[in-house]
Amino acid sequence: MLSETNLQNARTATSYLKAVRWLLAPLYVLMTLALYAAFLHTPTERIMGEVQRIFYFHVGAAWNAFLAFFVVFLASVFYLIKRHPFWDQLAVASAEVGVLFTTIVLVTGPIWAKPAWGTWWPSGDPRVMTTLVLWLIYVAYLILRTSLPENDKKYRFCAVFGIIGFIDVPIVWMSIRWWRTIHPVVITSSGANLEPSMKQALWVAVVAFTICYLTLTLLRISMRLQERVLDELSQRAEITS
Amino acid sequence: MESIKLIWVLAEKDLRIEFRTRQAFLSTLFFALLVLIVFQFAFDPGSPATQQAAPGILWVALLFPGIIQLNRSFQSEMEEGTLYGIILSPISHGTFFLGKFLANWSFLIAIDLLILVLFIVSFNFPLKLTLLWIVLLIFLASAGFAAVGTLFAAMVSSVATREVLLPILLFPILIPLILAAVNGTQEVLLREEFRFLSQWIKMLAAFDVIFLAASFLVIDHVVGD
Repeated sequence: MLSETNLQNARTATSYLKAVRWLLAPLYVLMTLALYAAFLHTPTERIMGEVQRIFYFHVGAAWNAFLAFFVVFLASVFYLIKRHPFWDQLAVASAEVGVLFTTIVLVTGPIWAKPAWGTWWPSGDPRVMTTLVLWLIYVAYLILRTSLPENDKKYRFCAVFGIIGFIDVPIVWMSIRWWRTIHPVVITSSGANLEPSMKQALWVAVVAFTICYLTLTLLRISMRLQERVLDELSQRAEITS
Repeated sequence: MESIKLIWVLAEKDLRIEFRTRQAFLSTLFFALLVLIVFQFAFDPGSPATQQAAPGILWVALLFPGIIQLNRSFQSEMEEGTLYGIILSPISHGTFFLGKFLANWSFLIAIDLLILVLFIVSFNFPLKLTLLWIVLLIFLASAGFAAVGTLFAAMVSSVATREVLLPILLFPILIPLILAAVNGTQEVLLREEFRFLSQWIKMLAAFDVIFLAASFLVIDHVVGD
């Protein structure tokens, strides 16, 4: 028989996987709908042309990346208060999905920026640079995780870094905005006045990515729980053999 | 009152060890000098473009040696086993952190001021009273650097790859501090009137207060048990 904690881990992992199964159908439908909306439902943007269609996925990923990092912060605070492993698992799963989504944002951004603004990388724009710094902070978070030995200390240190990193974000934003006002930049942000069909497409993409975030986070948490169960099983197998 | 005395005792212990051995001080100073000289060779020293880049060069030369010092600050404690002695003594973790912070901060200021002199000389900037603004920037920036740096150095002190890990953790967090310090220095060295200097000083002060408070609040979860 497995130990009591790992029995509980196995049960929790199974229930998360069940939840994921429920999420897969809406995720599939909404992602298809988001693709349809971005390519067929919305008109071609007058100035930027076809490439503007990447906007829906760019913003959908960006919005959820911020959500993911906010969840890392909250889960880290709860971990330090409650010391329950669930909060740590939630924090790391959320950080992983957040880094994935930020990577999507940083890749789709230049594809869109080159034809629209004439530059791959508008390095004076506070949104661009803050997103890059976010990516750096949470990649550092994941590197910290892989560097520390597996124990309670590791979870605490990661929680501390998750909190410090999130506190830094508004300060990064402010500093880059001030910096930008000093170095004049040609690029100005385009107005947020969207055509109704574009707004609809944006909403569908944001919701689709939110469900994608939930699904991936649950999958990663249940994977970590199953890893623990597997560790115990393989240790027992070694002892008996 | 009692804890202020304790903080000072802890910081003084570190500074006295450093003063007597001068191990880290001389090697970090020499390293910083090397960074300055490498930049001298990398860029044409006479060109106006190098003058424009000079504030950035100064802060790069201050950051890298700082990382070495922060990594060292817990190293001797780990090697001699004195860390457990301090943790077991009836001193709160917050006091211990502030003592380490104060020692690191003093060390960084001492190194930074010497490097500033070398920088002024090697980049041919005129000696003016306004250079005191850069001294203020150094005081503020090294405080934030030491606050976050001491916290993270405590976290990575037991890891084998700490030499790489500390800058990986620290530099993304320090980006606002670096931006403020470099831009403030740029104003002082290259502009006639300091229109934005107060703004950058405020940002550095805010960074210091926020991260000193945050580090103090979470230090119980890093040191101990």
